[in-house]
Amino acid sequence: MAYTLELRGVSLRFGGVRALTEVSFGVNDGELFSIIGPNGAGKTSIVNCISGRYRPTEGQLFYRGRNITALNPNARPSLGIGRTFQNLALFHHMTVLDNIMVGRHHLLKNNFITGSLYWLTGARREELEHRRKVEEIIDFLDLQSVRKSTAGTLPYGLRKRVELARAMALEPQLILLDEPMAGMNFEEKEDMARYIVDLNEEFGMTVMMIEHDMGVVMDISHRVMVLDFGRKIAEGNPASVLADPHVKRAYLGEEDEVLVDPDDTPAPAESVA
Amino acid sequence: MMDYAGRAAAADTYPKLLRLNAREHGADIALREKDLGLWRLFSWNDYQTRVRDFALGMVELGLGRGDVIGIIGDNRPDWVSAEIAAHAIGAMSLGLYRDVLDEEAAYLLSYGEAKLVFAEDEEQVDKLLALAERVPNLKHIVYSDPRGMRKYDDPRLMQADRLAALGRDGAAREPGLYDQLVDATGGEDVAILCTTSGTTAHPKLAMLAAGRVLRHCATYLAFDPKGPDDEYVSVLPLPWIMEQVYALGKSLLCRMKVNFVEQPDTMMNDFREIAPTFVLFAPRVWESIAADVRAGVMDSSPLKQSLYHVGMKAGLSALAHGKHSAVADLLLFRALRDRLGFTRLRSAATGGAALGPDTFKFFQAMGVPLRTLYGQTELLGAYTLHPFGKVDPDTTGVPMADNIEIRIDNPDVHGVGEIVVRHPNMFLGYYKSPEASAADIKDGWMHSGDAGYFNGNNQLVVIDRIKDLAETARGERFSPQYIENKLKFSPYIAETVVLGAGRDALAAMICIRFSIISKWAEKYRIAFTTYTDLASRPEVYALLRREVETVNATLPPAQRISRFLLLYKELDADDGELTRTRKVRRSVINEKYAGIIDAIYSGQHEIPIDTVIRFQDGTTQRIRTRLAVVDLSPDAPLAEAAE
Repeated sequence: MAYTLELRGVSLRFGGVRALTEVSFGVNDGELFSIIGPNGAGKTSIVNCISGRYRPTEGQLFYRGRNITALNPNARPSLGIGRTFQNLALFHHMTVLDNIMVGRHHLLKNNFITGSLYWLTGARREELEHRRKVEEIIDFLDLQSVRKSTAGTLPYGLRKRVELARAMALEPQLILLDEPMAGMNFEEKEDMARYIVDLNEEFGMTVMMIEHDMGVVMDISHRVMVLDFGRKIAEGNPASVLADPHVKRAYLGEEDEVLVDPDDTPAPAESVA
Repeated sequence: MMDYAGRAAAADTYPKLLRLNAREHGADIALREKDLGLWRLFSWNDYQTRVRDFALGMVELGLGRGDVIGIIGDNRPDWVSAEIAAHAIGAMSLGLYRDVLDEEAAYLLSYGEAKLVFAEDEEQVDKLLALAERVPNLKHIVYSDPRGMRKYDDPRLMQADRLAALGRDGAAREPGLYDQLVDATGGEDVAILCTTSGTTAHPKLAMLAAGRVLRHCATYLAFDPKGPDDEYVSVLPLPWIMEQVYALGKSLLCRMKVNFVEQPDTMMNDFREIAPTFVLFAPRVWESIAADVRAGVMDSSPLKQSLYHVGMKAGLSALAHGKHSAVADLLLFRALRDRLGFTRLRSAATGGAALGPDTFKFFQAMGVPLRTLYGQTELLGAYTLHPFGKVDPDTTGVPMADNIEIRIDNPDVHGVGEIVVRHPNMFLGYYKSPEASAADIKDGWMHSGDAGYFNGNNQLVVIDRIKDLAETARGERFSPQYIENKLKFSPYIAETVVLGAGRDALAAMICIRFSIISKWAEKYRIAFTTYTDLASRPEVYALLRREVETVNATLPPAQRISRFLLLYKELDADDGELTRTRKVRRSVINEKYAGIIDAIYSGQHEIPIDTVIRFQDGTTQRIRTRLAVVDLSPDAPLAEAAE
């Protein structure tokens, strides 16, 4: 089976710290694939390897059959890989619209010399075309009311959404979402989950997502991989992953038999591992 | 001035009038809709084509005369097109509020036996699919926005463009069919089922005939003329009679352009881009615009703040002398009008409840020609309005025409009685409910159920619903709503319920206006987390105490608020506490807050609360707090709750 994205035996070391140890997995075309794991398990390291910020110490990465292990980060969006960041990386003093337009940068044909001859070189037509794409994304993510607002003034949940919009503007075939719901309230999470499902189903984007919120992950993912201390401990559909004893141990501690329902507060003292 | 009545006589149904407009002014702009950040134009020809395609599409589906077609969603060209298309095939249109509750939608759709519903998008489709077997007659659901619809395979679903394509096929096969259908429509046939805002039980459906709506609109237009140069922004709910009058009746008659905003959230921005020539807002919207302006000024630089205060003072003092201050206009009001999208306003209205005298003056000083109107769904919306130059914030004006007759039944010594009205274009009765019709219409007169009187200038003053006048245990009559409105004129009070029927004194449950009080709290460095927390701060209690005392000073002693508390949550239409037009549902409140109300009257100073709030998405939040009760009666111990 040919994966859209495949990692083969990827290890990553920072000096003596082993962030990742021989992690192998593949993401199918059109899939919504999630990686979960406790803090420091190496989830973001995987995203950074795929987007090129880190180069694996060992192992190889393949994107649509092509070895991209050594490819420069800035060459990867052109292949169709887009990402968002766990800690927001927006241009705070630019408008939402401009932030999203930045996502179109690698698709622009005009440069700053030809662009200055606005009407002659087709820069005008090009800008209109890109603006249209951006407006479609704004419509998709319901950002109309903040289109012209400065990104830095928006509430956190909205900024996360703007970042997703910018990643979508790249028109990636594979989008990497690093904790898209971190720090959101329930309603914002629910909205975001819907956008992610829609962009997977309606736009046909392959999604690889890192997320802490187990409920959301299990609800919307097709397949889930679990990391613990840089090692893969489980992979499969949400139900089988939930049932996996290794996963229970990693998340809940040794003694626990079942997932604790967070609503059943106050929790008995012994279940707090 | 256009001959509105002649036009309504030449074409007495919506599809006939639309066809006439398309023939005579086909290329002119009829509608605009903001989409992907741009205003898209719809000419009368485009409008006519969409309506024809929808109508013939519905004929292909086997729908026709006597059927009921439901419509739900945001205000969009497809919404109004669907309504006219329904009329074109002899069906009745039934508009549903976009945030209608499940039970209410199920009730209305099954009561009306709607066979087809135009639902804007996934959100509305979800709602309809969830009704399942509760709406057995529903055979078709037509949606305009395909997003998120991929997951459904319900055979009733059809995209609006697909329905239009069906219609185009029909038109190609039988070119004369649409005109035949339109010719067959009659001005006295029931065309619109209009929900009446039911403050109790289920809403009733008023049957309206298109010819009557158009003739009534002609009367209205003769009193307040409009034409093709006028711009209207459609943001009121389309199922409501007034938006029916503006966005359909009046727009078809006088061809004023109707603009649809991109999203409810972008309303103020889109409103400003269009700068409409006419606007109707509910009093609370005017109040909140004024409150937003004040809040914005609080946040601005000292220079701007002083400009605002100087300009406001000059403007108000000029207004008090019946003049207009050019200095104030230059300093402040021109910029303010531009910011709010009021630069081209030639006519503005409010209605449904009283608007605070301060707010009224605020807008008048700004140069907004604000007037009050009054009416009911059954009487086709507004039928009284202030004449220009005779605006009085305490009244609702005069009848718009001589054929609108108003009388006051069973007046008391002050001339206050029930407002009873008759005009030639009123509704035809309630759908499938002759007994309800007979109860409200007697000898051709509609009994409004409102208490009111004519003042010295022959202008109508509306006080309250007759049945809502309450009586204390000591037998003093008062209007809770009247006092509530006085309280709500305070910028710090968002909503309030005045209690006292059958009790020995009046009390108030108050919801703070979070947007203003949170700013105020920031300014005075009062830390808070949530609405509930802010509403329990002693500083906020002290602030609200002053506000209540100010209002008390304007009321006769028997009608003063003797106790009040600040509620831990806002009243919400989704919880059934307010109607969709945001009027307080007293019976629901009395039942839901019975414990709190009893505690207020039992003289407790603190009421422990442990309750669960249910959000729209089905999640719940537990709230545990203690509500302080402030006692304002003269013999009360001093400020016991302000700790």
